[in-house]
Amino acid sequence: MKGISKFFAGALIAFMLVIIAGVYQSEAGPAEGKSAFTSKNCGNCHLTAGPNTDKTFADKLKHKGPDLWFAGSKFKKDWLTGWLKDPKPIRPMGYNSIEKKNPGNHPKLSGKEAADVAEYLMTLTSKDVAKGVVEDGKPNIQGKIVFEKTQGCYGCHPVMKAGKVVGGLSGPSFVDAGKRLQGDFIYAYLKNPKALIPVKRMPTYEGILNDNQMKAAAQYITTFK
Amino acid sequence: MLKRIAYTVLAILFVTVFLGIDKSFAASAEENYKWYCSQCHGLKGDGKGINATPDQPVNPKNHTDTAEMAKLSVSDVENVIRDGGAATSKSTMMPPFGKALSDAEIKDLVTHLKKLCKCSFK
Repeated sequence: MKGISKFFAGALIAFMLVIIAGVYQSEAGPAEGKSAFTSKNCGNCHLTAGPNTDKTFADKLKHKGPDLWFAGSKFKKDWLTGWLKDPKPIRPMGYNSIEKKNPGNHPKLSGKEAADVAEYLMTLTSKDVAKGVVEDGKPNIQGKIVFEKTQGCYGCHPVMKAGKVVGGLSGPSFVDAGKRLQGDFIYAYLKNPKALIPVKRMPTYEGILNDNQMKAAAQYITTFK
Repeated sequence: MLKRIAYTVLAILFVTVFLGIDKSFAASAEENYKWYCSQCHGLKGDGKGINATPDQPVNPKNHTDTAEMAKLSVSDVENVIRDGGAATSKSTMMPPFGKALSDAEIKDLVTHLKKLCKCSFK
């Protein structure tokens, strides 16, 4: 009888340890990611405490890299982890520049650091990006029409067409945008850019495209892979 | 009565000034041109901006081409900046800037374009 009690007590302790380890592990990623982000001075270029309060071009030009305070609403986690391990330019031009090419010198992180930093960045979300509005990756003809005909989005954003990268160079590339971006973010940005990126070179489409066109364009962009 | 008028004038001034500041990111038309237009039309206005890649369906307009630019009217230019190419039977590659720029900023850009083309519009 005593042996059975001991066995159950042992099993209970082991079970509790497994639970505690599990909880600790799920917390470790974001917390360690945040400390890696801080120790590597990522905040020198990237804003993580939003919202962005830029009022002028001069304010915008002070930033050396894109805002990350809504990274968890914008990016797809798997892509983010992979990119941090092996960063390749997303913008043909340097951030905030239409004169200098992107030097492609973003620091590389190790596998563990990349996973932790991605975990941390995914915790940074914006209340202005509603979840579950856009169905990512689903073909959308109306979106294609908006992207290519109603507006000439590829005038600034590089895209892949017939196996070749074409389009303008001033905007971030859309070549693999479906792997990188959440459709809900694209839609939220089109609908209310001021809440996310108040000063930008891109025209404002709020009041120009209707709500359906914005959702359609966002969904279409998530099919680029 | 005088007090009421004074308050009204002050309120109008306050709203005008603050709404104006809220809308405008630039200090001048040159700054707006450099920020928005130069992406396609080039920093010198010669149509050779970074978006003027060989695969684009149209070439951005050369704003320094006096003869070409002189064919346009002030309203043509204002309309194409505000509503984009589609709204003025031109290429949709010219996007609409009417929600990014105020009417006053668009008018100032027209004045800036006159300097670039060394012409006056019809």
